[in-house]
Amino acid sequence: MDDMTSGDIQESGVSSAEGASQSISAGDGPPKMTTRNVNVFYGEKQAIDNVSIDVNMDNVTAFIGPSGCGKSTFLRCLNRMNDTIPIAKVTGDITLEGEDIYAPQMDVVQLRARVGMVFQKPNPFPKSIYDNIAYGPRIHGLASGKDELDHIVETSLQRAGLWNEVKDRLQDSGTALSGGQQQRLCIARAIAVDPEVILMDEPCSALDPIATAKIEELIHEIRGKYAIVIVTHNMQQAARVSQRTAFFHLGTLVEYGVTTDIFTNPTEERTRDYITGRYG
Amino acid sequence: MNNQATSKIDPTPTDWSGDVMQRRIKQRYAAERRFKALGLGAILLSASFLLFLLVVMVGNGFRGFTQTELPVEIDFPALTNGAQPAQFEGPDAESRIRSLGVQDIVNGSIEIQYGNDGTDLFSAGAWTSVQSAILKNPSVLIEKTTFYLPVESELDVAYKGSGNPEVEKKITELGDQLSTGFNGNFMGNSDATDPMQVGIWGALKGSLITMFITLALAFPIGVAAALYLEEYAPKNRYTDLIEVSINNLAAVPSIIFGLLGLAVFLNIFGLPRSAALVGGLTLALMTMPVIVISGRNAVKSVPPSIREAALGIGASPIQVVFHHVLPLALPGILTGTIIGMARALGETAPLLMIGMRAFIAKPPDGITDPSTVLPVQIFLWSDEVNRGFVEKTSAAIIVLLVFLLTMNAVAIYLRNRFETRW
Amino acid sequence: MSSTALLVLVFGLGGVAWFFGRIKASGFVTGGTRGEVHSLPSYHGWYVALWAAIPAAVFLLVWNIVSPALITDAALTSPTAQQLPTDSFTRGSILAEARSIASGNQEKAFNPLSQAMVEPYRTAITYYQTLGMAAAILLVFACGAFAWLKVKPNLRARTKVERVTMIALLLASLIAIITTIGIFISLIFESARFFSMVSPIDFLFGTEWNPKAVAGPRGETGFGAIPLFWGTVFIGAIIAMLVAIPLGLMSAIYLTQYAPAQFRAWMKPILEVLAGIPTVVYGYFAALTVAPALRDLAVSIGISSASSESALAAGVVMGIMIIPFVSSMADDSIAAVPSAMRDGSLAMGATKSETIKKVLIPAALPGVVGGVLLAVSRAIGETMIVVMAAGLAANMTANPFSSVTTVTTQIVKLLTGDQEFDSPKTLAAFALGLVLFIVTLLLNLIALRVVKKYREAYE
Repeated sequence: MDDMTSGDIQESGVSSAEGASQSISAGDGPPKMTTRNVNVFYGEKQAIDNVSIDVNMDNVTAFIGPSGCGKSTFLRCLNRMNDTIPIAKVTGDITLEGEDIYAPQMDVVQLRARVGMVFQKPNPFPKSIYDNIAYGPRIHGLASGKDELDHIVETSLQRAGLWNEVKDRLQDSGTALSGGQQQRLCIARAIAVDPEVILMDEPCSALDPIATAKIEELIHEIRGKYAIVIVTHNMQQAARVSQRTAFFHLGTLVEYGVTTDIFTNPTEERTRDYITGRYG
Repeated sequence: MNNQATSKIDPTPTDWSGDVMQRRIKQRYAAERRFKALGLGAILLSASFLLFLLVVMVGNGFRGFTQTELPVEIDFPALTNGAQPAQFEGPDAESRIRSLGVQDIVNGSIEIQYGNDGTDLFSAGAWTSVQSAILKNPSVLIEKTTFYLPVESELDVAYKGSGNPEVEKKITELGDQLSTGFNGNFMGNSDATDPMQVGIWGALKGSLITMFITLALAFPIGVAAALYLEEYAPKNRYTDLIEVSINNLAAVPSIIFGLLGLAVFLNIFGLPRSAALVGGLTLALMTMPVIVISGRNAVKSVPPSIREAALGIGASPIQVVFHHVLPLALPGILTGTIIGMARALGETAPLLMIGMRAFIAKPPDGITDPSTVLPVQIFLWSDEVNRGFVEKTSAAIIVLLVFLLTMNAVAIYLRNRFETRW
Repeated sequence: MSSTALLVLVFGLGGVAWFFGRIKASGFVTGGTRGEVHSLPSYHGWYVALWAAIPAAVFLLVWNIVSPALITDAALTSPTAQQLPTDSFTRGSILAEARSIASGNQEKAFNPLSQAMVEPYRTAITYYQTLGMAAAILLVFACGAFAWLKVKPNLRARTKVERVTMIALLLASLIAIITTIGIFISLIFESARFFSMVSPIDFLFGTEWNPKAVAGPRGETGFGAIPLFWGTVFIGAIIAMLVAIPLGLMSAIYLTQYAPAQFRAWMKPILEVLAGIPTVVYGYFAALTVAPALRDLAVSIGISSASSESALAAGVVMGIMIIPFVSSMADDSIAAVPSAMRDGSLAMGATKSETIKKVLIPAALPGVVGGVLLAVSRAIGETMIVVMAAGLAANMTANPFSSVTTVTTQIVKLLTGDQEFDSPKTLAAFALGLVLFIVTLLLNLIALRVVKKYREAYE
């Protein structure tokens, strides 16, 4: 993976030009991931403009904003999934536990194992449920034997709240599950490599309300064990699952703060307009 | 949610920077590099096959366009009893030149210069080039003229680099007299038994006539079928049947079409064997499905909004298709047609079945004349024992490849030039 | 006048009719108001032209099929015909010769009787040709005039012309079915004649192939096709695929997943060129270059039985020919795997090659397998390479350096040269063709179904 873009490292700890109203702090405790002055370009087009945010272990962080505001793009910077798009270029400073993830010596393979991701549409591999979960531990060599692998599969499925539903049919294809189960399978798959951060890109947008409720419950369950960042277009969901909320608009970070504050007492005009449904 | 189970899990964080893990990651990256190199190797190997094939063919075939020559001085005034150039002009000059006995004149001159066995040095048909030279320019008759005539095949092969010792000796004897010249016969002659006299023109003309028939039949039928299936056909079992037949025909081995041509065109319809007509018919059946399939894709890619717009101003369904859809789909259809025609041009097996493997020493004049085509000619020559045919075969392959590559290049150009993204 | 020229004349007259129809219809537009005229003048032109040309063309087609029998009948009523022998074979050949001289395809007769029959034939041919020509031209004028009289402002010429167009389009699409049926019937018909002489069991399961040794009518032996089937499978499905699958698959993977755009832009057309080279060129390449090289190689490593017409040479070159085919099928299949799969794997920290090997290829497998089946079907139907490089000896051997023969080679072998059409040797070619057709048809149907199912799974 040596052909991947490494971002320009900028000496900066200053908040964005958006103004003093915007806090970048993630709250109590040391930040798990920090981002400073991040810009993303797709060819000539700038998709993200100077965003700085911190993420920590205790909180679920939600990114909200109208579609096309860059929240998913920004999320994909956090585990360098933008590398798979040849024209994408990321500048700025993103760290995980103090390490610059765009530094040349950073290993993308390790990074992505540490920063897992769950996608908008459930994307189980066309393999058995067991093999879907075992895939990550196998490629990373996390299990020394069959027993250990079985154990990882079981605990991951338990954490994802899927164990009781699938324990009798682990050899069935992962694609045969319902949409909500598929998405929980994908979360279990991410959990199985023992990540530190889990990125969720609109994980419920393809699901029905009951399946959505299960995923939200699951997010509550695993909060604190992993730093969780969730992108959502659903403001109620952000209010329900997150402790911190960042509002993006047109590629810029408008406001970042404690979720209840954002929803009850936003400092920015644009945030208020969005939350009250003036646009979106 | 099973809280009991979750609490049992002790999250021991993975030690990514540990030795074991680092070594493992190194191995994984090594595997990655090996895999990538394997892919690159595969594609370079495939490409080098092509390169090797082309080098072999061009290397051999280039010599097919040249011939080894010996000078022969012919004293026309003495040998023709003072024939005047004016006698050999006009419409029936050819028959009057025949009466001149050019063959004897040439052989006589050869014997004077190279001894009694001298004619053995030359290709048996060497005199014909003298005859055509006179026909072209009768004024050579008024003076002594030196002709460079092709030598016989073994000597030719030896001089070009690979002969047996006996012939090598002859070459040393002849020394500087031998020279290499352009083989003017190759593009103009037809098949012959003497490799020094063979030419590709007969087969090329046969190919052109056959391709013309194929195109004239397969293109209109293929386009019409594509339009019907894509624009008008109701969705029912009969349409499915047509689609299945077309898809299968496109994958039926070509030799089966030859068997069909033999059984139907020759035995039932009683059409003449070896004729370009039958070849064209057979290849048309083979090419038609290719045109239908590419035509359907081209028609399919025309956006429905154009059809709706035309229908909206009151055009009939036929007018919609012939005024709007067909012109827009035409570049795509043409690309597919050229590719199908290129395939037909290179096709050999079905033509062998319908008897196009005869020895044809005269270019065909019509669609029912016995004829041969380029790939069959290549096949026939490749079977010849005489080593002089090796380079002729390769030369014929070069001619065929030039045609095919040109066609493919045109198709690629058309595709890139007119490809519209809607 | 030849029938082709007559056909051209008929269509020429159709063109004239177009002008007449159009001129008459143009009058309406200037005369009446536009609203009363249903169709544009050119449609009226087409209406008249189609009426003028199509009945006559159809007549000519029928006439061409019927008239030879009429001509023969007429010639046989002549007094000279009384001298003809009654034996149907010689009678037939004399008549054929006379006919060929009379129509100018042959200059001199070998049989004096044929020469005598030429004159009656010539008279009959002239008579019927004139008759046909007159009838065709009469039809053109009669139908053309009929249509011309019907051209009126309220004639729905466009609708009628469009209906004819639609029928023509439908007929064109039916040609494919007719061809398929034609292939099937002609193969079945000739194979049935073969199987009336040779038992199908002996043919399909016999292990001795030696048509030259065949004794004569009934009591035929030496038509056991198993060695041919083995040779075909050995070259086309085993050796060729051992070359084509790894190289084609890896090329496709490299081109789609790793190659820089510039490299891909050059390599893809090069592979396409490889696919566009005629098989006869590959055959020549195999026979001239590859086979001797492989034989020398085999001899140098101590395999003295190596033949210069080896299964290996034919198979390897065939494999090279198939590479672009496998590569483009694999390319399509891999491209059809949703990128979410790839992202899912990459996001877990898998390397590219791990993603390809463990996610993309397994997901694309049905498509790749379908493509390989199509490639096998193409390889076993391939003719020229094996004809030129594989040899004729019907060996049942798994030694790649020895010579084996294939179904297609034997079809060519049996049908070239001057054999009479009814001999079991000739008919055996059709039986082999039938087997080949059925096998490739099945392979194609299965492959297309597999590929289709696979595509649907991701749509």
